[in-house]
Amino acid sequence: MSGARLDRMIWLALPAVAYLAVVYALPLLWLLGRSVTGPDGFTIAQFTAFFADPFSWRVMGNTLRIAFWVTLLSLVIGYPVAIAMARARGLMQVMLLVAMILPLSIGVVVKAFAWQIVLRRDGVISQGLVAIGIWAEPQRLLFTEAGLIVGATNVFLPFMILPIYSVVKLIDPRLTEAGATLGASPFYRFRKILLPLALPGIVSGSAFVFSMAVSMFVIPSLLIGDRFQTLATLTGRSYLLMRNEALGSTTAVILLVIAVSIVVLSTWLSKRVGRSL
Amino acid sequence: MPELISHPAAFLDIRRASKSFGAGKVLDGVDLAVERGEFVSLLGPSGCGKTTLLRIVAGLLGADQGHVMLDGADISAKPPHHRDVGVVFQSYALFPHLTVAENVAFGLHAKGTEKSSIRPIVAKFLDLVHMSAFADRSVKALSGGQQQRVAVARALAVGPKLLLLDEPFSALDRKLRETMQIELKRLLRELGTTAVFVTHDQDEALIMSDRIAVMNRGLIEQLATPDTIYRRPATAFALEFVGLSTRLRGKVSAMEGAGELLIDTAFGSIRANGNHLPGSSVLIGVRPERMVFGARDGANTVAAAIQDIVFQGSRIQVHFVSGIDEPFLLETGGELPAGLAPGQQVPLSWSIADTLVYPAGPSA
Ligand SMILES: Nc1ncnc2c1ncn2[C@@H]1O[C@H](COP(=O)(O)OP(=O)(O)O)[C@@H](O)[C@H]1O
Ligand SMILES: [Mg+2]
Repeated sequence: MSGARLDRMIWLALPAVAYLAVVYALPLLWLLGRSVTGPDGFTIAQFTAFFADPFSWRVMGNTLRIAFWVTLLSLVIGYPVAIAMARARGLMQVMLLVAMILPLSIGVVVKAFAWQIVLRRDGVISQGLVAIGIWAEPQRLLFTEAGLIVGATNVFLPFMILPIYSVVKLIDPRLTEAGATLGASPFYRFRKILLPLALPGIVSGSAFVFSMAVSMFVIPSLLIGDRFQTLATLTGRSYLLMRNEALGSTTAVILLVIAVSIVVLSTWLSKRVGRSL
Repeated sequence: MPELISHPAAFLDIRRASKSFGAGKVLDGVDLAVERGEFVSLLGPSGCGKTTLLRIVAGLLGADQGHVMLDGADISAKPPHHRDVGVVFQSYALFPHLTVAENVAFGLHAKGTEKSSIRPIVAKFLDLVHMSAFADRSVKALSGGQQQRVAVARALAVGPKLLLLDEPFSALDRKLRETMQIELKRLLRELGTTAVFVTHDQDEALIMSDRIAVMNRGLIEQLATPDTIYRRPATAFALEFVGLSTRLRGKVSAMEGAGELLIDTAFGSIRANGNHLPGSSVLIGVRPERMVFGARDGANTVAAAIQDIVFQGSRIQVHFVSGIDEPFLLETGGELPAGLAPGQQVPLSWSIADTLVYPAGPSA
């Protein structure tokens, strides 16, 4: 495409840019401003106060720990699924794609309520684990970190699978065959051919899931409750319940910084990996 | 299979390999024996099962039936990474995330070759394919011919017992293809590598091969030297697929003495050597350079009108109106008789020994 043509095409993006500026950038600026504004004007006192409080560190720890496990679990479950989808043919491939995309049409709230039922003491997981003899008696997974991780993984899984699938689909199956005829075992082929070539997909899938998991609000609210706070639930509580705008804007900005660093880091990482591919 | 045991096995011995995809039978009991150090081409039209046979030998595809023996061992059940069979793929299949040198080193690392000896081996093979200057380049930045060389070096570096090449030059332009054909042949001879080379290009097969296996519809119809394939094609398919020929249909009218046939055709009675029952339909074939101007005693003679005179540099081809679907072809490296022009009716002849005869279906 020539430069002049590209220039004119840029105007097509104008409505979207204007929309985002009004509903997204302005409130964000206001939020940023609020986090560094005290009764006497500019201050970073809200941040120093936040970081001085051990409770804040526990909240940040909760947030990052849950996001880490959700991302890891999504990767472990999602990677083989993505490979299977990329290798499947015809009807099988369509069915796998539908099975993954259809649940996206169900709202998060509905899914979270459904998981409440699944994770109960008399829910299917508890009963199943008792039935196969892993648990001696039924236990409640609802309102535990494990329950939250399992439920959140289910909701975010498609966002891990899709980027990996779209990268793996483009890997020439002849490459692993070539590896085999050169004497490479299946595991060696996985480590030296499939994994490095799938890495850009793994990086962007992980970035998606991690940034959604650090900022999820509805799922922890319904699956673990008030006693367990993350940056997102704390932000929500500050605004909705405590009417503490100072705290709310501070935690929101910290959350934002985390999310932006993940996006920047992963972009940098997949560029770097991409270049060496 | 007692009758197989009584034969000493060839270096590569494919026995009755069969493969079907769904209802379609792609390989129909292929036998192929290749000697150590030999260069054998699998020559056949697209879709005849060449790639399928290659993949079965490499272990990338399981045969429905049959065995693959290599160097005295039955490798039919072995996975590809334990077979010592190298493959150069049609699409090259170089690892895009690795450099040229890393591609060549891949198999050595995978096989656990001692680290210190990998570098000199890689250097040696890059040198053999004239790619030393590109060692640290990304393979994505290479031209088709260069990728081809790297693919060959990568496959040879691990020292396979057998190298399989699947139409490796089909994506290259004519000039480069001819250079690569000669280079590859020389390289494999120097290394003493046994190779099976798949192609649908008869010229390529004739130029490169010690022997050619002519393949058609999942079967090998003839395995012989290029010279024999050209001069004595075993089947009507081999005659048609390799080289030019004039082909005539006819019916055997009499068999005299020791396999001397008299065949009725649209051009009169033609004599040939062969074993076909009187009354059976046959296909007669003659190579164009075996045809000469003028009638001769003791030879087959016909009269035909000149259609075209085609100048081909070192050779001249003359097409004659034949009244059948394909023209009579005469090819000569020498001079044409003076005053020949299209439309002229001239006598043509060829010797009885040069008359090839094949059974044909009843539809004459
Ligand atoms: N995986 C497959 N599934 C179904 N049909 C196949 C498959 N591989 C090859 N075939 C069919 O087998 C026939 C022979 O294919 P192939 O061995 O690739 O031929 P060639 O290499 O001689 O062109 C073709 O008709 C092709 O369509
Ligand atoms: Mg093929």
